[in-house]
Amino acid sequence: MELIHPTNTELYALVLHDAPFVIAAYGLLWLMFCGYVTFILVRLVKTDKQIALLEDAVAKKG
Amino acid sequence: MKRQIQVAVVLIVLGGLLTTAAFFMSFYTASVQRFGTYTAEGHVDTVFDIAPSSEQVAGGVTYGRPWLAQKIFYFHVPVALASFLVFTIAAIFAVMFLIKKKKSYDTRSRLAVETSLIFTLATMITGILWTRASWGVWWEWEPRLTTYFILMILMVAYFVLRNSVSDEERRATYAAVFCIIAWIDVPISFMITRLIPSSHPVVFQPGMDVTNLVPFIAAMIGMLGVGYAVYMLRAAEENAEERLDMIREKLEA
Repeated sequence: MELIHPTNTELYALVLHDAPFVIAAYGLLWLMFCGYVTFILVRLVKTDKQIALLEDAVAKKG
Repeated sequence: MKRQIQVAVVLIVLGGLLTTAAFFMSFYTASVQRFGTYTAEGHVDTVFDIAPSSEQVAGGVTYGRPWLAQKIFYFHVPVALASFLVFTIAAIFAVMFLIKKKKSYDTRSRLAVETSLIFTLATMITGILWTRASWGVWWEWEPRLTTYFILMILMVAYFVLRNSVSDEERRATYAAVFCIIAWIDVPISFMITRLIPSSHPVVFQPGMDVTNLVPFIAAMIGMLGVGYAVYMLRAAEENAEERLDMIREKLEA
């Protein structure tokens, strides 16, 4: 006996016709936000490191 | 600055939780909505029905197709409204810059336009996926889509303008004037589906069911939180870069 009756598979395919679009919309939205936030955070960490290095150089010079 | 970053991260996590809650509420607790559109005859709510198409399945049984793509609206609309709101804030800062001529207002305006552009791109992505699912096309030059596309182009043009002027003061003044002029498209884009015939549905209207309103408000608060967090993070980055420039100057001197 099959796990899912073929008519049900057909029915679920109809019901979930738009599901990939809904899931893709939500997923892409958050992927974009997370990507952008990660990009900003990486740049912030780099800038912080540079600041620390230059402050050390200023202190040594002073 | 570290506190600013911590608050921003917390806001992003909260925004993520709220929009995820809204996403699931839209499937489990929200009732299936009927949407309104404006045609030449006036406001009708029959174009976007619960089941816009029926499909024949094996055995001669016809099943109505539940219109699942409407669930996209529970995060598409909050993102779009957030983009309008953040761009309005950018225009307010632009006006303040023109009045007070303080560099900080120009920076705030630029950061708000940048945040708004991110939200506009997110709106475009979610909207295009809805259009493909519901209309069967990726794009249609109907009034809402066209005016929103113009808004996105204006935001991109804002940065092109900024990069093309080297004098700092002139750049800030031109950008502020351009931002205010570009903002005029915000009320036009927002109101257009309510004023002229448009195939874009008017999703959230007065008197809507509480089961639809709750996930919408949750997603709206979440998106505004994310918007503020993105703005704060960019502001923290700007401050750090300014500090870096100051130390460099000090070292060179």
